[in-house]
Amino acid sequence: MSGHRVAAITRRLLQQFRHDRRTLALLFVAPLVILSLLGYLIRGGTSAPDVGIANQDPGSAAAIVASALERSSKIHAVTINAADGDAKLKDGSLVAYIVFPPDFSQLAQQGAIAPEIHLEGSQPGAQAPVLQAMQEALTSLASSAIRFQPHTTYLYGGPNLDQLDYFGAAFIGLILFFLVFVVTIVSFLRERSQGTLERLMASPLRRGEIVVGYMLGFTILALVQAVEVLLFSLYVLKVHNQGNVLLIFGFEVLMALSAVNLGIFLSMFARTEFQAVQFIPLVIVPQVLLCGILFPVSTEPKVLQYVSDVLPLTYAVNGLRDVMLKGADLTWPSLQLDAAVVAAFCVLVIFAGIATLRRRIA
Amino acid sequence: MSEAFAVDVDNVVKSFGSLRALDGITLRVRQGEIYGLLGPNGSGKTTLIRAVVGLLAPDSGSVTVLGRRMPDLNILSSVGYMTQAAALYPDISVEENLRFFAAISGADSNVDEVLRVVELEQRRKSVVATLSGGMRQRCSLACALVHRPRLLLLDEPTVGVDPQLRVQFWEHFREMAAAGTTILVSSHVMDEAERCQRLGLIRFGKLLAEGSPNEVRAAAGTNNLEEAFLKLSGRTSE
Repeated sequence: MSGHRVAAITRRLLQQFRHDRRTLALLFVAPLVILSLLGYLIRGGTSAPDVGIANQDPGSAAAIVASALERSSKIHAVTINAADGDAKLKDGSLVAYIVFPPDFSQLAQQGAIAPEIHLEGSQPGAQAPVLQAMQEALTSLASSAIRFQPHTTYLYGGPNLDQLDYFGAAFIGLILFFLVFVVTIVSFLRERSQGTLERLMASPLRRGEIVVGYMLGFTILALVQAVEVLLFSLYVLKVHNQGNVLLIFGFEVLMALSAVNLGIFLSMFARTEFQAVQFIPLVIVPQVLLCGILFPVSTEPKVLQYVSDVLPLTYAVNGLRDVMLKGADLTWPSLQLDAAVVAAFCVLVIFAGIATLRRRIA
Repeated sequence: MSEAFAVDVDNVVKSFGSLRALDGITLRVRQGEIYGLLGPNGSGKTTLIRAVVGLLAPDSGSVTVLGRRMPDLNILSSVGYMTQAAALYPDISVEENLRFFAAISGADSNVDEVLRVVELEQRRKSVVATLSGGMRQRCSLACALVHRPRLLLLDEPTVGVDPQLRVQFWEHFREMAAAGTTILVSSHVMDEAERCQRLGLIRFGKLLAEGSPNEVRAAAGTNNLEEAFLKLSGRTSE
């Protein structure tokens, strides 16, 4: 392997990107846009759903619960007439309405608490805050008789940990993996479609030199992107981090290397850029669904858990979350496993790329 | 191994599925000559050139280039290959393309000289995507020359090149051959064939006739190279 020839490939690749502003923007602006959107989505919104309250109870019990609902941060309580409730659900101005019937206080004294909860029903996600708010409000009714003081402790994180901390940790790696993969697969394919690969093959270049040259070029770009994403997440979005920043960066590096080499490898199975982009729904989307970023692997159906267990992204996401949320370091066996699997995958795709390049040319 | 021949193709067969692209072809190119490979579209010219440069492994037979049995990566630093369509990196400049192809061949770069030859000195900083078709073709030739190859393989180098530039290309080829470079060039343009020292007529992957333009004409019993080509390839002119 000649360092001089590898450097020539890497240099040329970086020159190409210097002239190609749009791709540079994709690599360096897109991650910030995606992360900012994610951050604003999760932390920016205070939009508690509107919930109608119709109190027909002449007694005091309903008033106690209703005022607790009004204080709740999970919903925005609006006083309505029970007769208008269904119409308001239909026109979308309410996600639910709660009716306290005339006998509510009377029944409460007999030990039966029976409010009517009317849900819009088509958005499963919107129901949860209503039911939670209702439960909390009902405890205020109970607390006049019983003191309700649970004692909560956190092994990791804390009461301030939110969804952005949970998703952000995984997104740092995922964004890098996805964008680097797309840019690599398309660039490598262009090498074939514009005929320059033929020229490279008719030169003294070794197959390994082409793959390593590409790998270095893209890895340089990916590392700059990794630093950018990391700094933005930690210092602008203030994503919770309990662990060593260098470990996070290490995971990012492994994911970038995997993405580059997966891109080179898969580009061998596509003839046009259009076909290459078709690998995104085939290879990337199932991994994103099953890697645990959206749904924890442990809650998946058993069959899918087996699939998740062999996907490298699962280990990358798990590793990043363990470092950032739990403060894991390399003395943790689980983190050793995560890092080893991602590193092994990386080595596997490097050799797969070199091997298929040889086969396709012969 | 003797280097009497720059290219020695010996009984090479190459099939793609049921198509026999090269059908036992034997052809030898001497050091320092311009050898023209003539034949209609699909006759096997490009396949032969790709086999010479080691991009295709023959099913049987052998290819020897500058004394080395192909495929041999090391000898490729002495070979320049210009593909039929200009194969360049469109997003980088003319000069960056040239420096890249020089670097991967491990040669000291000869950039200024080749830019002069193809008359692209004024456009050296231009991004290739902004060049005209003819300029790209010139840039592509420059990339094949930049590492001072001893053997130059040109696959229809003048397709899409205007007549004036074509004359210039051929003058340069002649100078290079005089300086010892061997040139194997494919074409289906007869006035280019006249400029070659020897010609090989191929069709259906077979060598039909070989010799100097005069010898080819004599073999066909005609004064016109185009007629000779048609006669020898089994087609008759009107």
